[in-house]
Amino acid sequence: MKDNVISETDVMSNKIKIAARNVQVYYGDNHAIKDVSVDILDKTVTAFIGPSGCGKSTFLRCINRMNDTIAISSVQGDILIDGEDIYDSNVDPVQLRAKVGMVFQKPNPFPKSIYDNVAYGPRIHGLARNKADLDEIVERALKRAAIWNEVKDRLLAPGTGLSGGQQQRLCIARAIATEPEVLLMDEPCSALDPIATAQVEELIDELRQDYSVVIVTHSMQQAARVSQKTAFFHLGHLVEYGETDKIFTSPEDPRTESYITGRIG
Amino acid sequence: MTDLPDHTQPQRSLLQQDARTVKRNRAEKRFKMYGIVAIAIGLLMLAILLVTIVGRGTGAFQQTFLTLDVQLLEAKLDKKGDRNIEDIKKVSTFGYAPLMSAALEAKVATLGIQTELKPKAMADILSKDAAAQLRDFVLANPDLIGTSVEFKFLTNSRVDGYMKGRVSRESIANDKNINAAQLDLVDALHAAGALQTQFNLSFITGADASDARPEAAGMGVAMIGSLFMMLVVLILALPIGVAASIYLEEFAPKNLLTDIIEVNIANLAAVPSIVFGILGLAVFINYMHLPNSAPLVGGLVLTLMTLPTIIISTRASLKSVPPSIRDAALGVGASKMQSVFHHVLPLAAPGILTGTIIGLAQALGETAPLLLIGMVGFIASNPPDSIASGLLAPNSAMPAQIYEWAKRADPAFYERAWGGIIILLVFLVTMNAIAVLLRRRFERRW
Repeated sequence: MKDNVISETDVMSNKIKIAARNVQVYYGDNHAIKDVSVDILDKTVTAFIGPSGCGKSTFLRCINRMNDTIAISSVQGDILIDGEDIYDSNVDPVQLRAKVGMVFQKPNPFPKSIYDNVAYGPRIHGLARNKADLDEIVERALKRAAIWNEVKDRLLAPGTGLSGGQQQRLCIARAIATEPEVLLMDEPCSALDPIATAQVEELIDELRQDYSVVIVTHSMQQAARVSQKTAFFHLGHLVEYGETDKIFTSPEDPRTESYITGRIG
Repeated sequence: MTDLPDHTQPQRSLLQQDARTVKRNRAEKRFKMYGIVAIAIGLLMLAILLVTIVGRGTGAFQQTFLTLDVQLLEAKLDKKGDRNIEDIKKVSTFGYAPLMSAALEAKVATLGIQTELKPKAMADILSKDAAAQLRDFVLANPDLIGTSVEFKFLTNSRVDGYMKGRVSRESIANDKNINAAQLDLVDALHAAGALQTQFNLSFITGADASDARPEAAGMGVAMIGSLFMMLVVLILALPIGVAASIYLEEFAPKNLLTDIIEVNIANLAAVPSIVFGILGLAVFINYMHLPNSAPLVGGLVLTLMTLPTIIISTRASLKSVPPSIRDAALGVGASKMQSVFHHVLPLAAPGILTGTIIGLAQALGETAPLLLIGMVGFIASNPPDSIASGLLAPNSAMPAQIYEWAKRADPAFYERAWGGIIILLVFLVTMNAIAVLLRRRFERRW
């Protein structure tokens, strides 16, 4: 498994970016997340792994309060970003989501031009003072998402006309254009072919320089390749959390071992 | 091993269909045939309908005209000779009748037609509207008094019917409006080229006419009535309907109350339109004292009727926008309202427009609620001269006008009812075509 690793496995930062304490999530009567506490570090890629329905995506969506859009969901416990409780009644989820960007499972560009896709976030947050500013932000975001060279000649073409991998990188560009501090990725490669996956994974590793990246994935190889920290979820519990290396080589919990060796999940 | 059943079966050839397959295929063939028969019946009915409407209605667009040179005698029309318009207006249509019979008498003489009819009886082949036509012309052009002007006068509806084959010499036996001698004159005038049937624009642009003058009746004013009603519906129903749908679909909490509202909107869409009519009568006319027969009231009633249609189609098109678009917008930090107005609404717009146009088309063809607010009946009015009078002056609407004509006794009105249906259908088909085009044009895939 070592051969596949494309990132430095040592954790670059020890600063805690996101701290979750005793988080419970209910969908109606269904207790989806059970008492999860976890510290996610800054400038680190953290992978959430686990079988389907284990709650990893649910937990991810708690971090930018996307679960608020589901009427029947309720969240208890605390999630702190930089020491601030994001479920405090004074927090506007809109402001939170500007700070915590999200990339979804299926590439979902707006049916608008490539330029407008990236420029939308900066526009609504007032990040650009003029057109030149905005052009620069768009260019920078597309370059960081490693798609600039492919689209620079057709910025006004519709974003939906790109290939799946390009669309996903466009979505990443859209997410980072608003200068977030945390980037949440919900199975970003599940709809992509291996080549596009490799491109996105490389990108994730680069994004680690600036962001705290949290990625949900079904692929254990992917988790091993891109992350420094891994959290294993099972039936709503956080079973084990630690250095990726350690989780995949010498897991402490028998359930983790069963999962990574393919016996459950 | 011996107790195992023997699974070896006689080998079946794929080239031979077994009984089950034959039965299945036959059932499928039968079902396809039922479908084709059903569609054929539908198409046949449509064809019958169209042929009937076109066959009976096209006559209304043509009218028989008689060409006459009229001497606009100063002695009759402007005795003082100073062209004072107020004095000229004092001459009623009765004052013009002698000019016309004189013109017809002269025409008959120049063409050398033999007839024992007196000039006044000859003039009876002209429409009762002809004198008004002449008077209107003189009032508009007083300078031409004293000269001879060529006119195309409408003929009496019996003459028109005779030319179109609706009236025959046998059918007029008991008809006081026309006699055989007059028909002889018509035949002679027609042979001489003075009397011919041609396209009649005033059927499309004109106003309704009284029972005695079916040849002068037109659809134009009723069309304007319909237009003003549609304006009211569009201005009220579109924003209210869209706002209500956006709130219900995107913002409202899902609870018992919104469920009840939802069920009731669906029910409202199925409420018979006459119920909205009586509601409009009670609320807008009896309680709010808006004028009777006013397109404003008609528009308000039709708004009530169209709202559920617009709300249902708007909600359906909002629902069809994939949730991933909303997630994407919320994910980059757009507020709920921004995500709706920047992303969801533009994607739903073609569907909303389609629903609105179809709702409007429905309202355009609606007659029953208009019965109750007094928009059906003989409403002889001139085209409105301002937006206010267009909204508030008594008027009819296209379907109401058709109904009104269909119930009058004279077969000439019956023909006009069919003609009116053609005009109404042209509007409806055009609106539906626009709706289909919009849907095709802006349909998006994602």
